[in-house]
Amino acid sequence: MQRLKAFPKAKLTAVLETMSQKATVWVPSMIAGVSRFAPYRPEIDIQMGTNTAISPKEALFPSTEKIYTFSAYGIDGEFEPVDPSVGLQILFGLRSCDMQGILCLDDVFLTRGYVDDFYGSKREATTLITLGCVTPGADCFCASMGVNPVEHDGSDAQMYDLGDAYGIIARTDKGETLVKDLMATGLLSDTDKSQGPTSDFVLKVDSEGITEKLQQMFDHPLWDELSRKCLNCGTCAYLCPTCHCFDISEKKRNQHCGVKIKCWDTCMFSEYALMAGGHNPRPSKKERVRQRFMHKLRYFPERYGKLQCTGCGRCIAKCPVNLEITDVIKLAGEAKKDG
Amino acid sequence: MSAVDNPKQPAKEWEPNIVGFACNWCTYAGADLAGLSRMQYPPNVKLVRVPCSGRTNPQFVLRAFQKGADAVLVAGCHPGDCHYATGNYFTRRRYLLMQRMLEFMGIDPRRFQARWISGSEAPKFRDVVTQMTEEIKALGPNRKLREEI
Amino acid sequence: MNQITKEMRDLARELLASGEVKGLIGWTKGSRWYLTPPVVITQPEEAEQLYFDQFAVNNLTGLLLDYRYGDDKIALFVKGCDSRGIVRLLQDHQIKRDNVLVIGVPCMGMSDKKAVTDPRQPAELPLLDKCLECRYPNPVIADRLISGALVSGEPSEPKGLTASEAAKRGVGSKQADRFAQVKAIEAMSADEKYAFWQAQHEKCFRCYACRNICPACNCRECIFESDKKGWVNKSATPTDNAFFAVTRAMHVAGRCVECGECERVCPMDIPIMALNRKVIQDINELFGESDAGTDLDGKMPLGLFKNDDPEEFM
Repeated sequence: MQRLKAFPKAKLTAVLETMSQKATVWVPSMIAGVSRFAPYRPEIDIQMGTNTAISPKEALFPSTEKIYTFSAYGIDGEFEPVDPSVGLQILFGLRSCDMQGILCLDDVFLTRGYVDDFYGSKREATTLITLGCVTPGADCFCASMGVNPVEHDGSDAQMYDLGDAYGIIARTDKGETLVKDLMATGLLSDTDKSQGPTSDFVLKVDSEGITEKLQQMFDHPLWDELSRKCLNCGTCAYLCPTCHCFDISEKKRNQHCGVKIKCWDTCMFSEYALMAGGHNPRPSKKERVRQRFMHKLRYFPERYGKLQCTGCGRCIAKCPVNLEITDVIKLAGEAKKDG
Repeated sequence: MSAVDNPKQPAKEWEPNIVGFACNWCTYAGADLAGLSRMQYPPNVKLVRVPCSGRTNPQFVLRAFQKGADAVLVAGCHPGDCHYATGNYFTRRRYLLMQRMLEFMGIDPRRFQARWISGSEAPKFRDVVTQMTEEIKALGPNRKLREEI
Repeated sequence: MNQITKEMRDLARELLASGEVKGLIGWTKGSRWYLTPPVVITQPEEAEQLYFDQFAVNNLTGLLLDYRYGDDKIALFVKGCDSRGIVRLLQDHQIKRDNVLVIGVPCMGMSDKKAVTDPRQPAELPLLDKCLECRYPNPVIADRLISGALVSGEPSEPKGLTASEAAKRGVGSKQADRFAQVKAIEAMSADEKYAFWQAQHEKCFRCYACRNICPACNCRECIFESDKKGWVNKSATPTDNAFFAVTRAMHVAGRCVECGECERVCPMDIPIMALNRKVIQDINELFGESDAGTDLDGKMPLGLFKNDDPEEFM
């Protein structure tokens, strides 16, 4: 068995400095009062204690991205694609919930016959380093969604919280390269310590059989009740590590040229499903709220075999009206099939 | 990148680009009179004719800055002389607030002006445009709020 | 169960059972000790879900907009700050007076759940800043009142069952600091101000939570709703976010009731109230002191004018 290598938490910046020689390292940090993953730089305020308020999907799927520029003078027109690739990057300190989120995004953007190069090029350039959780956050419930807080085998390297040090093992070739680089600096040493047990979750829900249950609940009156307090803002979707809807719009510089932009969108917005001609198949909050939870707990599992909620708890933490997915799962689970 | 600048136009020395919202009945008429009277004034203020200065939303000002304006002017009839009776009274209140809001955002207050210029005040129009152009020339180009495409 | 909760449940049961109202909006106990989120009920049995405590911070008035096109009468509970939202909606002609039954409740001041350290263990928490600065702790409008609440259209001391608790916790004790944040920003240099707001606008990702919870943001079709109109699309660049933030502040200018919900719901902790308070401060200085949403017959400052308004544009 691979002996665990570790570095003291006090040497974290040295480790990040080393990694930064070869790649942009996204670390959990405090930026302008909000915790999010941001590219490492020497004065950055690193926050390793709890998961970030904003999910790391922005490193692979930015909220606003140029896709091509266009120009037309007279009859001639030109399109020039914008190169979506980024330099090498490392996502450092991903929790299992976010790693699972990235696997969901992989399913959407890389499988089923079409590879989205905007996501794919960034994904390929990224080394993922997960970190085990010892203390679940107040809103965390990954274990209830089938995600293991201790570790995640989908990453390139796994770190463990050993109290005063971080242990690290490589899982893939990318991970091996990274660990080798760190070994070369002398920052790593062998350790016999192991990650302590993950303490108990505050938030728990039984999500067993939720997909099958929801398959019989499309017309259930539960959706009327649940949707009443929703504001139809984009907070839950934009914070979610698995939500991936986007819109294409444009910015014109003048009547001749401009740029097409891909930006985050959400089924929560009233105009999301609005069609040319004015028909909206999701005209009220009820349809939209139902859509959100159906997608996460039924349609996505039906298509990709995994739940589209990884239990990170961010939506629960920030929803202005505390519409909690854990409540939805519980109520749907308990509901009588025909209401 | 081909889409950003038209390769057919040569580069020029920087000139202030000022967007002016001019009310149809007074300021625009005053500008017209300035032209008819062959008054000389800088060409830097690009006029957008509106039926009344009260038509201008605060977001028009923001949009002008986003799209590259170095300064914005909102001009209309003198209070009491509005063609629509009361439009410019609302303009006055609105832009007293907007002026302060722009300063609060960190935009130099000299980059936004609201003025009352009547249909016969062609010299005033000329003077306002000339002064504003000179002032902004000295201040330099505005990069704040600017959209980068 | 506290007394206010009991009275809420009794009244709700009565209103729904008699059919006087078709629905009722209130608060319910949430999944943790520091959460008391909104709930909408339609049946008398559901009255058991209602709850009130120092975490019932949500302003429920925005939810009335869901019923504005119908003819159903809806009841809702309001604290002092929330009740100004009712006046806001009525003055904007978004709801019919006969279709809403306003129930005023006294308020002990709302606690700041951001100060929670242990999600399992209830503890004393400090008041929200907006409660420390509160000038309208009593409802400004009500059809019914419970637990000793009293209507007051003027700034007043907290009344009702929670009066002494509110006073002890310091509700309204920092009224004079209402514009402190605005003044702090005004004291910065232009470039510092711009850098400050740029950092905020870089955070914003245009979830529109602030707009959706605001009772003053009640346009049938918001300019930010359709990108075909060309004002904005969903692109969340700092300049577009600045456009959104300032435009929204100017569109609610003179109508903002200072409930502070916009700032509370922002997932990025953007100081949205600084913009709204800046506008209010300027309106007070330029056009005379006024508090939006306190007087049903009052006029909104940007909807009227005086011949002798300050003249700076000659």
